[in-house]
Amino acid sequence: MVSKTEEEQVNRLESQVENGGGGAWEYLCLVRKLKLRRSDKVLKFGLSILNDPKKRSALGPEEWTLYEEVAVAAMDCQCPDVAKEFTKVLQKKFPGSKRVGRLEAMLLEAKGSWAEAEKAYMSLLEDNPLDQIVHKRRAAMAKAQGNIPLAIESLNKYLEIFMADQDAWRELAEIYVSLQMYKQAAFCYEELILSQPTIPLFHLSYADVLYTLGGLENLQTAKKYYASTIDLTGGKNTRALFGICLCTAAIGQLTKGRNKEDKENSQLQSLSAVALEKDYKQRNQSKHSLLTATLKSLKLS
Amino acid sequence: MAEDLVLDTAIRDWVLIPLSVVMVLIGVLRYFVSKLMRSSSQLPDPKIVKEGQVIIRARNLRAAANFIPAKSFRARKVYYSNEENGLLFVPKGQAQNAQAQMFSDPNMAMDMMKKNLSMIIPQTLTFAWVNFFFSGFVAAKIPFPLTQRFRSMLQNGIDLSTVDVSYVSSRSWYFLNLFGLRGLFSLILGEENATDDTQRMMQMSGFGMDPSKSLSAEKDGLDIVQHEWALPKFEQRAEAALRKLVS
Repeated sequence: MVSKTEEEQVNRLESQVENGGGGAWEYLCLVRKLKLRRSDKVLKFGLSILNDPKKRSALGPEEWTLYEEVAVAAMDCQCPDVAKEFTKVLQKKFPGSKRVGRLEAMLLEAKGSWAEAEKAYMSLLEDNPLDQIVHKRRAAMAKAQGNIPLAIESLNKYLEIFMADQDAWRELAEIYVSLQMYKQAAFCYEELILSQPTIPLFHLSYADVLYTLGGLENLQTAKKYYASTIDLTGGKNTRALFGICLCTAAIGQLTKGRNKEDKENSQLQSLSAVALEKDYKQRNQSKHSLLTATLKSLKLS
Repeated sequence: MAEDLVLDTAIRDWVLIPLSVVMVLIGVLRYFVSKLMRSSSQLPDPKIVKEGQVIIRARNLRAAANFIPAKSFRARKVYYSNEENGLLFVPKGQAQNAQAQMFSDPNMAMDMMKKNLSMIIPQTLTFAWVNFFFSGFVAAKIPFPLTQRFRSMLQNGIDLSTVDVSYVSSRSWYFLNLFGLRGLFSLILGEENATDDTQRMMQMSGFGMDPSKSLSAEKDGLDIVQHEWALPKFEQRAEAALRKLVS
């Protein structure tokens, strides 16, 4: 997760480099440290350093790290020629290195020669069966090929050992949601909430999944998680506000006649409706009438 | 006692400076030797990696238990700590102690010995060398007075109680160099250089740690966690946040 200040710093550096203010190397370092995916910029700035022998040699041994970073960025930008060139440079410098081997396998993957890439990854795994990056690449490759069951299987196998890896849990959760396997997705989101309980995004996704599952108990839980999202974001999350409204409406329908809903909760939804209206008035006047119609259909305003 | 000792400049040229230079060179040499001897990074045991990850995950569960519904918490708790195949459950007797593990894996003992050798051999050699050539005379004077307590630190090898404490004996100069050059090494050799002795000692003392012990400790910790769902509280807090936003 990238914090807001870090993101601002990246953006500032990016515009600085764009406008010829220098600091390309700092930008590249930061992107690498934060594991951001800004391949186009990395490729552009990285090439400007690597094609300039004077700048390149000023980096010292860091030069090779940059080669790797730019090669991966080039693969992401569909420039296999650049990636191939840099991989060759690295191969020459570090013959027999596993890290370069990984890069070569990724190059195969980027070209779309799945079978060869799979073979390369498997041989890397034989050397080191605990290589996290290779495991993840294999799952990603399965997903890229559209082989979702295989992706799930390899992610599950990976998580059996590296069960504290949040990114893998998140990927798995998103895959499960895409397959409409909501119960499994809910488990993954619970795991994410456990590992980082203060990130509203996970609360929101968990609530979404629970709302989709339906049933009185799940709806009530979903509403609570929407509420926690609102609390964590200070009420700035529109989706959570809508979620409260929808949940309350759905719960109201399910408990019709029994009317054991306490008044406190109905206040929460009317408040979120008001917050929504205010938000729409401020930011998107043209859609305001739509909102009023929606809220009316939910019998909230 | 009060009169100053006059130190020959030859002492500076032939003892003080060479000693420091030699210490630095030996440090650099040791770094490269230990780099050579380090056995190519052996693969970690999947079981140990998994245990570490289980512990992290269980710790997360313990810390953030109140953020998930009670049903999910109970399911996880059973998953971790049931007595048949829970992740944190260590069957009795299976917990091999570290000593036995060390003997069963000669590679590990070998590695430790190599590390030790690369540390001890040059140290004994240089100490013998210093002792042989430069023992028993004053090599330097520090520019400020010190109390008697520093005598054993600064005048190792001279058994004279009348010499002012601000004089440093050659052997003590060796020791000062031995322990004081770490900053210089990290400057020359990069941050994570192999010459950090104190760190290595700490590693060795932590070596005999038993992973199964931390597993069962984590299990005990998990067993006593009382689950109290925090989310109902959040509804009120959300309400307060919204009220603030709306008003």
